[in-house]
Amino acid sequence: MKLALISDIHGNLEALTAVLEDIDKQQVDKIHCLGDVIGYGSEPAACLELVNKTCDIKLMGNHEYVLLGLESPDNYTHVARISAEWTQGRLTDRDFSLITDFEMDRSLDNLYLVHASPFEPERWHYILSPEEAAQAFERLEGWLCFHGHSHIPLIFSEAHDRLPRERVGHSFLPDSENRYLVNIGSVGQPRDNDPRACYVTFDTEGGEVTYHRVEYDIETAQSKMAQAQLPEMLIDRLAVGR
Amino acid sequence: MPEIIVKYEDKVIERIVTEKKRISIGRTNDNDIVLENRAVSRKHAMIEFNNNAAVVMDNESLNGVFVNNRKISEEVLRDKDIIAIGKYSLIYHSETSQDHDAGASFDGTMVLTTKRQKKLLENNKVEKEMLAKYGGSLLIGEENVDFSEYRIDRDVTTIGKAKFVHVRARGFLLSGIQAKIVEENGIFTLVNLGKRGKTRVNGEEIDRCILKNGDIITVGKSTFKFVEGAR
Repeated sequence: MKLALISDIHGNLEALTAVLEDIDKQQVDKIHCLGDVIGYGSEPAACLELVNKTCDIKLMGNHEYVLLGLESPDNYTHVARISAEWTQGRLTDRDFSLITDFEMDRSLDNLYLVHASPFEPERWHYILSPEEAAQAFERLEGWLCFHGHSHIPLIFSEAHDRLPRERVGHSFLPDSENRYLVNIGSVGQPRDNDPRACYVTFDTEGGEVTYHRVEYDIETAQSKMAQAQLPEMLIDRLAVGR
Repeated sequence: MPEIIVKYEDKVIERIVTEKKRISIGRTNDNDIVLENRAVSRKHAMIEFNNNAAVVMDNESLNGVFVNNRKISEEVLRDKDIIAIGKYSLIYHSETSQDHDAGASFDGTMVLTTKRQKKLLENNKVEKEMLAKYGGSLLIGEENVDFSEYRIDRDVTTIGKAKFVHVRARGFLLSGIQAKIVEENGIFTLVNLGKRGKTRVNGEEIDRCILKNGDIITVGKSTFKFVEGAR
């Protein structure tokens, strides 16, 4: 079976639409979404609707969690708080209701899906350092963990700390003797200096993990955000992928 | 249709509207109205309905049936008659009250419909033990027979079907996170989040409700009692 995994869409409908069109060409069997469909971008409701329609498993991200009022946005940066409040005002009861059915994590045989980390999923820990990865491996049940949250495509293997960045660039065949934390990157707000939308496909039989980068109409996404008077910093970063 | 409001020590615990010709009242579960109390006989009494008339009959019970404080063996009921059985009183209405809140507005107490809810109201002993053990606020729920307690000691307590919520609830239509209890400055507010399933407080469907000590919360098929503790 071939899976497509998407995460961190952040209300960017242009990026999501482009990614879904690209996924269409890959002939995948299922699409799973690892959370943060909303926040930052100008079209939270449309993205929620589209994810709900196209994705099989839908996981909770920290932006959904805050939106439901399950956590205070106090720890957020200033711009994130502004965008969280803005998003809240743009969602209907039905949108809220869709989010209430998002799951915190999901195991699929030897795969584990989560938004941030297998270590305390509802505390949204980043996995960027070998120490954070070690903590995550301690709690990981399964061979491969697919996650998002940091918007940086990155693979930690239990035996080697971080894999060299260039190997993350395209395809990667995990070793069945090892275990991995695979950050699938962000659809709607990449932060790895590559502004193209990012997602991953995974072949459950062959075991191959493939990163895909998709160009999308960044200017339109930006002008919609400007119209919505969202913080400039959030608009600017789309063009540079940071 | 005739209606019977069942009260236990001045709390409305059940409101029954029936099309049946005859209903049984007693302690065992096979009765139409179950009154769980030792003072109530297994098959304590019957009410028969016939052409707008209703007759209550004592079924040779040990402690008797009283209508408006008078012991009876058989009595034709008039509107608003009060039937006393043990610590329960049953108020007879010849017609279903138009006002759906009739039960609640009766004396400002609550309308509950299931046996589980009734049990929660009556189980003060368990509640006191739990509060003694733990000073904060609690949700007391019933899982099968054993009462389970859920401490509300965080800013937000989630209730729903998902594995990751704080308080698990049952029900086909429930959302993963169906409801939350938010604590702010000592005030607890229950908020319904899912739209397919329902959250009720004392039988009333709510979107948002400030909780009072003793409120009965129903989320899908699960029932909890909110017990406010000293902080």
